[in-house]
Amino acid sequence: MQPLANVTPLRSPPRAGAIQINDVGQVYKARGQDVLALSQVSLDIKPGRFVVLVGPSGCGKSTLLMMLAGLRQPTSGTILINGTPITQPDPDRVGVVFQEASLFPWLTAEDNVEFPLALRGVSKAERRARAEEALKLVGLEGFGKRHPQELSGGMKQRVSIARGLVQDPPVLLMDEPFAALDEQTRMTMGDELLRIWAATGKTVVFVTHSLTEAVYLADEVVVMSARPGRIVDQLQIPLPRPRTYEMLSGDAFSSLRDRIWRHIRKSA
Amino acid sequence: MKPSTLRRLIVIALIALWEILPRTGLVPELFLPSLSSTLKAGFTEAGEYGQALLVTLYEVGVSMAFACGGGILLGALVGSLPRPRVLIMPMVSSLYAVPLVILYPVFTVWLGIGSESKIAFASIYGFLPTMLATAAGIQTIDPQLLLAARSMGATLTQRLVRVVLPAAIPTVLSGLRIGGALVIVGVVVSEMLISSAGIGYLISRYRTILDSPHVFAGVLLVLAMAVAFNAAIKWIERKCAIWQTGTRGAQATDDDVATGAMQPAT
Repeated sequence: MQPLANVTPLRSPPRAGAIQINDVGQVYKARGQDVLALSQVSLDIKPGRFVVLVGPSGCGKSTLLMMLAGLRQPTSGTILINGTPITQPDPDRVGVVFQEASLFPWLTAEDNVEFPLALRGVSKAERRARAEEALKLVGLEGFGKRHPQELSGGMKQRVSIARGLVQDPPVLLMDEPFAALDEQTRMTMGDELLRIWAATGKTVVFVTHSLTEAVYLADEVVVMSARPGRIVDQLQIPLPRPRTYEMLSGDAFSSLRDRIWRHIRKSA
Repeated sequence: MKPSTLRRLIVIALIALWEILPRTGLVPELFLPSLSSTLKAGFTEAGEYGQALLVTLYEVGVSMAFACGGGILLGALVGSLPRPRVLIMPMVSSLYAVPLVILYPVFTVWLGIGSESKIAFASIYGFLPTMLATAAGIQTIDPQLLLAARSMGATLTQRLVRVVLPAAIPTVLSGLRIGGALVIVGVVVSEMLISSAGIGYLISRYRTILDSPHVFAGVLLVLAMAVAFNAAIKWIERKCAIWQTGTRGAQATDDDVATGAMQPAT
């Protein structure tokens, strides 16, 4: 297909995508009592980094992600993306991929990808062109006319990633996106995600329960503890890229994974 | 043999039996008049049946509008707001269990034995399931879908129009199917009980004079009405709820992508 002139490539400008989380706390009410979900979380994420949040259930990593998405407000502290506070969902700056692909079952794959553009009244022709480009990027060229229920779990997540990328935001947030997939699909999707990330240069914040997945994907793993959620460790992952399956059984890999596991066992 | 062919054969066999059984005297004509005599009775009194059909269709149409319109509107309201839900739902649910037909004599006292009492009765009769289904449909919308829409910057109106509405359609339609069928039942039954016009009235009147062919001609008309209504609902379902039918093609596997179609796009 001939690329249209008004279609911007899915590559963010080099400086965009910086995330600064300053002393963020989150308190919610449960049965009339204040519960501290997050306490004094500070994190600086450089543009284009792949950061993975891990921690035991209830450590508030998903809450933190929802705040980055502008879907929740921090009770205290500030969150800056591209240097300005995020106070509401802003698809220009942040794309979100949810656990259960969250595709609209009544729309085809391409209509799902176009959805965020349709919300803002982008013209049909441009929508279609950008959706096609995004679907191509996630390896789903030619599947645009299918409905979600005609797609496998992995393909649904690809559509969901395409939808997150279609507005070309500098930041992509992913809330346990591969948790519902089987092991093999999960591995494939991990490699696919790294390929897409390398091709687009997005800042990725990725939440997962799988320590292997965390070490395999990340530049940096942020370990959180539960009640209240705090950051207890930040590990740089020095493994070279591209990451390969063989690294999984290497010593460097296991010692990193063990270090994360010790934190989590202690705080759970 | 294909199931559809078999189904057709069964229908044809039943129609044939309807003709044969009374003709051979195995079943008395009083119990079951043959198909041909039923049709003949219907055609000789075509004017009378036509007029009755118009009355019944008018009552069904108006009641349908009240039952479905009101049911969807109130169901949507009750489904999306927690406070009215707590107040109204238990009442409506228990009302649904009451045989509402006991109210019909009261309606005739209030509204007379003309069309108004039938419309009132059938509207309420069909309203309840429509409302309950709509409320359930709205309540069971996957909150993840709404969250996803919100993350993409959808406003409240956009979420209602682009997410809640299409997501609720299949459940609302299944409510309409039951509600609409009950409207037809409500109109015909109330015509049979106390009235002076309509198909139900004809059936009931011919029954008292033991004129079986004319009774069955009326029954056939009601049957045709129900079949037509069902076809209409199916048509609407096909039009706007394709996504609910689970039988569209086999699910793709991840291998589909892995083989061939999957090339790095960079």
